[in-house]
Amino acid sequence: MGQDERHYNIENLNRLFAIASLVLLGALIWLFKDDFSHKWKQYQDQFRSLEIEKTRVKYDLAKNQLDNSPEYQELQKQLEAAKKNYAEKCSDLGKTTKAIDKLNEEKDITEQQFRVVKAEMDAAKFHYEEAVVHHATDLTKAKSYYEKLDKRVQDLQASLNRIRESSEEQTQIITSCEEELKNLERQKRTVARQVEILERKLKKIDPGAMSMTNQIASLVRDMPVLEMSNSRNRVQQIVLKDVTENVNFMNVARVDRCTTCHLGIDNSDYQNSPQPFKTHPKLELFLGKDSSHPMDEFGCTVCHGGRGRGTDFVSAVHTPSSEEQRKEWEKKYGWHEYHHWKEPMYAKPYIEAGCFKCHSDQSIVKGAEKLNLGLNLIEKSGCYACHEIEKYKDWPKPGPALTHLASKSTKDWTYLWIASPQAFRHNTRMPAFFGQSNNSDPESVKRSEQEIHTMVHYLFAESQEFPLQSMPHWGDAQKGKEIVASVGCFGCHQIQPQPQKTPTSRQSLLKEQGPNLIGLGSKTSKVWLYNWLKDPHRYHPKTLMPDLRLSDEEAADAAAYLSQEKNTEFMAKKVPAIDEAVLNKIVDELLQKNMTPKQSQQKLQTMLLDEKLHFAGQKLIGSYGCYSCHDIKGFENYKPIGTELTEEGSKDTDKLDFGFVDIEHRKEAWFTQKLKDPRIFDMHKIRMADEKLRMPNFYFSDQEIEAIVTALMGLVEDGTVEKKKMPRTTKNLYMEEGQEIVRQFNCQGCHEIEGEGGVIQEDVISWLVNYDNRSPEEANAMRLSFSPPNLIGEGKKVHSQWLFEFLHEPTSIRPWLKARMPTYRFNTAHLNALVKYFNAIDSKRSPHEFPFSGIFDMKKITPEELEAGQKLFSKDYFGCAQCHIVGDKMPAGSADSWAPNFALAKDRLDPEWIIEWMHNPQALLPGTKMPTYFDPQNFEGAGPEDILGGDENLQIKALRNYILTLSQPQKEENKEKPKPEVQSQPPTSTSPSPVTSPAPPSTTAPEGG
Amino acid sequence: MEAIKHFINTISAPYIMFPVVLLLFFFVFPPTTGLMKINRRLGLYKLWTKQGGIALFSTLIVFFGFGLTDENFRKIVMKPDNVPIVALIFLVVFFLWLSMKQGWENDARIAQGKLPNEAEDAKEKILVWPDLVYIEFICLIICSAFLIVWAILLPAPLEEPANPSVSPNPSKAPWYFLGLQEMLVYFDPWIAGVLFPTVIIFGMMCIPFIDTNRKGSGYYTFQQRQMAISIFLFFWLVLWIFLIITGTFLRGPNWNFFGPFEYWDPHKLVALTNVNLSEFIYMIVLNQKLPSNILLREMWGILLIIAYFGLIPWMLAKTAFRTLYEKMGVARYSIFTILLLMSASLPIKMFLRWAFNIKYIVAIPEFFFNI
Repeated sequence: MGQDERHYNIENLNRLFAIASLVLLGALIWLFKDDFSHKWKQYQDQFRSLEIEKTRVKYDLAKNQLDNSPEYQELQKQLEAAKKNYAEKCSDLGKTTKAIDKLNEEKDITEQQFRVVKAEMDAAKFHYEEAVVHHATDLTKAKSYYEKLDKRVQDLQASLNRIRESSEEQTQIITSCEEELKNLERQKRTVARQVEILERKLKKIDPGAMSMTNQIASLVRDMPVLEMSNSRNRVQQIVLKDVTENVNFMNVARVDRCTTCHLGIDNSDYQNSPQPFKTHPKLELFLGKDSSHPMDEFGCTVCHGGRGRGTDFVSAVHTPSSEEQRKEWEKKYGWHEYHHWKEPMYAKPYIEAGCFKCHSDQSIVKGAEKLNLGLNLIEKSGCYACHEIEKYKDWPKPGPALTHLASKSTKDWTYLWIASPQAFRHNTRMPAFFGQSNNSDPESVKRSEQEIHTMVHYLFAESQEFPLQSMPHWGDAQKGKEIVASVGCFGCHQIQPQPQKTPTSRQSLLKEQGPNLIGLGSKTSKVWLYNWLKDPHRYHPKTLMPDLRLSDEEAADAAAYLSQEKNTEFMAKKVPAIDEAVLNKIVDELLQKNMTPKQSQQKLQTMLLDEKLHFAGQKLIGSYGCYSCHDIKGFENYKPIGTELTEEGSKDTDKLDFGFVDIEHRKEAWFTQKLKDPRIFDMHKIRMADEKLRMPNFYFSDQEIEAIVTALMGLVEDGTVEKKKMPRTTKNLYMEEGQEIVRQFNCQGCHEIEGEGGVIQEDVISWLVNYDNRSPEEANAMRLSFSPPNLIGEGKKVHSQWLFEFLHEPTSIRPWLKARMPTYRFNTAHLNALVKYFNAIDSKRSPHEFPFSGIFDMKKITPEELEAGQKLFSKDYFGCAQCHIVGDKMPAGSADSWAPNFALAKDRLDPEWIIEWMHNPQALLPGTKMPTYFDPQNFEGAGPEDILGGDENLQIKALRNYILTLSQPQKEENKEKPKPEVQSQPPTSTSPSPVTSPAPPSTTAPEGG
Repeated sequence: MEAIKHFINTISAPYIMFPVVLLLFFFVFPPTTGLMKINRRLGLYKLWTKQGGIALFSTLIVFFGFGLTDENFRKIVMKPDNVPIVALIFLVVFFLWLSMKQGWENDARIAQGKLPNEAEDAKEKILVWPDLVYIEFICLIICSAFLIVWAILLPAPLEEPANPSVSPNPSKAPWYFLGLQEMLVYFDPWIAGVLFPTVIIFGMMCIPFIDTNRKGSGYYTFQQRQMAISIFLFFWLVLWIFLIITGTFLRGPNWNFFGPFEYWDPHKLVALTNVNLSEFIYMIVLNQKLPSNILLREMWGILLIIAYFGLIPWMLAKTAFRTLYEKMGVARYSIFTILLLMSASLPIKMFLRWAFNIKYIVAIPEFFFNI
């Protein structure tokens, strides 16, 4: 083929071909490189060097320690000596070794022969057996052949045995010679074990310590393509079979690959390392093998959210915590929103939202303080009243009933209050509906004024008769102040004229169960307060305010004190007049919802002013949803007005209306903005009056908002984690039910329950200082004796029957306490739930399985036992009655050293518990004043030697039995005795407490019991 | 700058852009001699020269270069799924220019009495091996390298498993079906989804029987096959490529139209108050209520359809298509005109929608029959 037949210049084509091929080669190399170089591989490389560094340090440290330990040095010396000894004694072992070699050789050969001959013998044996049955002619030949072989097998077996024996003999010589040395070496290895492990690890990972072969092997196995077999860099994953991922139409196991980069997450060595290697900050709670959320069972995304299968920063769907971080990430990692993943990681400020997925049934999630605070705020602010939340389905309305409002307040006060609740009480939980960002223009203000008038009118028109009982006398405010300070009002209320700057905490919220008692004189009358204090349930049957069983006089004094303070600044504000023109417009608009404009005009003309106000008031109360929080006549069957929030955390972001507000399009940002200014999303929008957003403003602080948003983000419905929820055991259910009641009724305002609460103690201290003439230090030391008891171990301590009755109708156990256990009007369900709850905390079985008589039978007490008990009880020994009240006999000394009445013991206390209590009171109630008579450190020598042969266990039992008999006769004589007796000592000025004698708190004074 | 963007956004509105494109089309690719004269007078044929090509490409490049400075434009154009459509614009323009240029050159030669360019080429012979196979192989290598580099630079936009409860907004058909999806906006699904695709296939089967012109076989020409090429390009450019480009770049959330520099705001509200022809006539023009009788109500639409498919072919046979009618005979002429009218109905309907908010010409929802 000649050159001239060619269409193209072949040289040029060749060149083009060469270039194209090179380009393709380059592209292929690029392809490999692109496919090979993942960021996570770099992280793994980095982590390896970090690991080497850490291991080296650890190794050096361990080695150093080992070298310096005397034990090791001693061993080393011994080893040296042993080696020398060995060299001397066993120098001529060479011959023996040779002999063993030879014997081994012989053994191998003989074994070989044996195997061959044995096989032949087996065959011959079979042949002979067969011959016996079938071929008689062949029989003798077969027999002799078999016998010959059999003999040979036996010979071989014999010589094998002989060889083995002599081999063993020779070996024995060597072993005995080496014994000492071997032993020492073993010891050394045990001592140096840690170092050896580290050394082995280093050899495996550290290129410096690696053998040449290992180095080459590491290099080869990390090469592209070859890496698929066994690279050092590999994707780490945790597969969770019982936590699934919903991929539409099916659920698949969840796979978390986070540990591919977060390599040090479960290793406490990396606490100070940079991300992504840093150790988890709460290893004791998460990831650790012994923690409650081990990594292999829970993975990462169950709590954190995000895309577990992602192996790079963006596809794992990390979420920045702030605008700055977002920018930083965009620059550093090319971060962008990952639109297709609906559960991005929780941003750091809201990280505790992840707990709620599984812990939604619990009232508090231990360790998730922000979440707990958020939930508490939702409860206290009553969000659940307008926004249905499954968890709070049966919770009471957060606001007071307005069905008898006219007897309580004036129209003017009510008007001013609705217009701006915060102006009257700075920290009220009543939110502001008016004066907000979408109704502050002059026209809206005018309208708002008339709207409030209509609502006030409706409330007063519909208010029912409430006969106020007259007060026995006008009351002494000074006395009232002391009563309020002492009986326990401050477990739920506070008197706080100025806003506090301190951040909100769950503790501070306990004191916001009831309103801040300021300016009450402006709000209501003394007489009303008297009636309210005497019997709150008469005014509002569903109120959470308990009955403190105040006497008429006490109630009058307290009412006098509380009504003393008036908010003149607030009352000085002018209530605008009713403007019929604006009112007509409002009524007309409301009428037109069901009528034509003409009909509406006609109707309007026939309506009297009162009718208009009543009509508009009713409609507006319905539209603002006042009835969600307050009982209002005419709204008994209305549904709450807000969006349901049960699954708010799983809501799609695009279902939230961001309006024209320039914020990030994320749920957290929207919630935050909404809570900051609930009407903000109306900004720049043209809205009719009834189209405007109506959510009122609670004036939450930024800190509170963050907590509430955390809780909101946690309100998700995630069926995929069902198996990881707290097990639905009876105990857990009882606990949850009880915790909910404790939260609703604010028990922790006074009592410490499950290690939380008891905020009243501060007020007990100030009472002691102000009214009992104690110094602050003294008061602080005495505070526990004068505060409502810590309810730790209550379930174990008391009889369920007693607890039930006590909660139903409390009686005084500690007459020296000023604070009273109030009467709550618990219903049976509440009472049962509380009894079960206290039992569940202490893992006590149900009361029905626990017959009292089966454990303790009074009749079984022997006279000797009784006598011994009496002796121990007496002043000569323990002197129990020095502190404990016995029946109606008060102990000597000041009230702060008194202890509960023994007369109550039998009905109240669990006999087993008394024994445990006397063994070691401090273990059951840390900090109690009950002296430890039987020192657990030296139990055998603790009791007196002259009673019951010095047997401490018998002594305790005898003392317990004696104590239980103390209530026996009294109870039979006068069944009701403890109750009236205690009630006859009103804990006010008539208290037997010797106020004038400031006795220092006795350190041996018993408490509790 | 913003003014330019705003101007482009404005003219991108379909009711402006579509008529402009339609109008331009018939001058740039004149199907009849009359339009050809105008084409010559305007000098539009100069597009198919080297200078014209440079001008075309420069315009495109300047437009995209300018556009890429805008964030909204960049977001849409640089989306990995959309990049091939950008390439499609350039490729379509290039090949259109190339073929038209050769066609016009040949036309000039034929007018001078010469044979077309291809005739010269035909004298020369090329060996399959090595010349053809070798360059094919080189092309293969270059294309492979190109695809690899593309795949590295623009990774496939893979998403999570489809979720029936969360549909993306906008939900778009694959690019090659965007023309069909666009038709669904204007026609009842049974027309846009069933009837039209069937007619398209049927129509393509008819082409060899309708177009019996043997000229232009083996060489590029425009003037010898003026009408055939115009009709083809009408389908190809206007009803296919244009709709794909519109569907890809201009249709945003909620299937609203967005200019190339406009932000795809999912909350954008556009008033879509469409009326049927009957409502238009009775309620808007005659200002009276709709007759209750269906036939009476839809009479106008039905008459219009009958007139469109019955009268227009007849009228055309008497006037513009007289020679064609004589050449083709009744059967072929009827099929040809009906197919042509059907395809013309799409732009007509689009225009009616944009200009008069017409929803259906004939709307009988009682029988699920809407045209």
